[in-house]
Amino acid sequence: MIFEKRTERILVPMFFMVALFVPLFLESNSFFVGKVTTILILSIFVMSLDFLVGRVGLITLGHALFYGLGGYLFVILSPEYEAVNFWVYTFYICGISALIALVTGAVVLRTTGIYFIMITLAISQMMFYYFFDSLDFGGNDGVFIFMKPETSIFGLSFLNLDDPQHFYYLALFSLFNTLVFFKVVLRSRFGRIVEATKQNPDRTEALGYNIFAFRLTCYVIGSTLGAYAGFLFALQYGFVNPSFLAWEMSGTALVMSILGGLGTIYGAILGTFTYEGLQYFFEHLTEEWLLFMGSAIILMVILLRKGIAGYLEKLLEK
Amino acid sequence: MANEIVLETEALSKHWGGIKALNDISLQFRDRQLHGVVGPNGAGKSTLLNMLCGTLKPTSGCIFHKGRRIDTLKPWKFVRRGIGRSFQKTNIYPEVTCLENCAISAQRRFGGNFNLFASRHSNQMVRKAAEQALAQVGLEDRTHTIAAEISYGEQRQLEIAMVLATDPCILLLDEPMAGMGHEESQRIIELLKELKKTYCIVLVEHDMDAIFELSDQLTVLDNGRHLITGTVDEVRADPRVKEAYLGAEEDDAEEQAA
Repeated sequence: MIFEKRTERILVPMFFMVALFVPLFLESNSFFVGKVTTILILSIFVMSLDFLVGRVGLITLGHALFYGLGGYLFVILSPEYEAVNFWVYTFYICGISALIALVTGAVVLRTTGIYFIMITLAISQMMFYYFFDSLDFGGNDGVFIFMKPETSIFGLSFLNLDDPQHFYYLALFSLFNTLVFFKVVLRSRFGRIVEATKQNPDRTEALGYNIFAFRLTCYVIGSTLGAYAGFLFALQYGFVNPSFLAWEMSGTALVMSILGGLGTIYGAILGTFTYEGLQYFFEHLTEEWLLFMGSAIILMVILLRKGIAGYLEKLLEK
Repeated sequence: MANEIVLETEALSKHWGGIKALNDISLQFRDRQLHGVVGPNGAGKSTLLNMLCGTLKPTSGCIFHKGRRIDTLKPWKFVRRGIGRSFQKTNIYPEVTCLENCAISAQRRFGGNFNLFASRHSNQMVRKAAEQALAQVGLEDRTHTIAAEISYGEQRQLEIAMVLATDPCILLLDEPMAGMGHEESQRIIELLKELKKTYCIVLVEHDMDAIFELSDQLTVLDNGRHLITGTVDEVRADPRVKEAYLGAEEDDAEEQAA
């Protein structure tokens, strides 16, 4: 069983069951479907960050770099007025992002602690300003994506990305796979050493493991999934702009993951939904929503030391 | 004395700026022997050990393992050559069980460390090796206890079990008896007596009784210099040692020897 905790075994099926059936009773292009799709996509991004920060121990402030890359790579690679194949481009984008993560990771992972935070931030800010100032990619305004990709496999197409409901299920399916993937990886022999490296890196190295290689592999995995989330987000809204790779994006994702319960993986979903839910609520309540939003987050972080997942685990375990 | 030399240092030095933590040390460590290293605080014992396991790179000089030069290798490659070390400060994985602690150590040998999909529990060889290491140090009944919850003495034993689980041929032990009560120390002494029949052990220890009892070869370091290496009796009889290290305690030691 890849879900080791009771809380996970209850919450995860419940969440996906509800998420699976609710949209069937809604209009395909309703606001709700679109909004939740966005949150599902964000959850993938937050989950990939939660894996890196909470499970591998790599506190990165540059994760948005890959979120943005996912979007920009699509714009760069695909012809402007022609629908390309979604699966083929997913493969391209993930492949190239993985390669970029491998190269940047080989540099940033030479540092640890505060230096790691600073250098990841620096690299992502570098890319931010590159796209911000570049004339080729619309600068500050970003680029529109005119054609959504088609999704046929061997001539069979069952998914229409122009239909919000279909897109919703694509996002849900992706999130589910991401969750299962991370859980499987963490349970594996590889995961054992990753866990050991986080707990006690010196000892792990003294036991004969090349911890750099383990961290780099994780960095590539996390970054690639982050890029995939960015790619989906760009497709949903039909544009990509520099705000995708702004440091605020990394920061917000970090807050979401802490809110959900750092290192719990499934907590990323809880954190993202809570954050987005609160924001939606306060936004409609008052103009000064940021004030309330901030207070609410401070309160939750103080009261729920191990995040929402940690609180639920306290209630549900044993 | 016929045992093969497995580990050798040649004019090994480590300088920190102008300070010579270790200067021109040439030692030979033999298979199936316990080689004690003693010296006052700051003599360079830990520095020596840290270089023998690859954590520190020597300023000059070389280290040979079975005739091959290894001091330029990455630290984790030392373990792969069979050089395992334990730490002066307990250095375990406190959040997981004792079995898991040893499984982490043992797993490297059986491959599949970059297998992202196979469950960590799927390899029975890893589990067997981990259980065997626990049995070697006598911690069988702690197999499923979380490492943070066992006693300090047991954690020191676990520390050794973790080194054994890497299947080493050389054990570098940094004060395995530090902070232990008499009874617990006695247990470690018995364990080391057993282990030195199969391994080459380099033991850094403050407990003089223990080290006199265990050592086949004894090296005295003082202020980064190599004072003498010999059998326990030779070392005890050496006047330089009396002067530099044993000092006033010497009379007691002589009485005990007689």
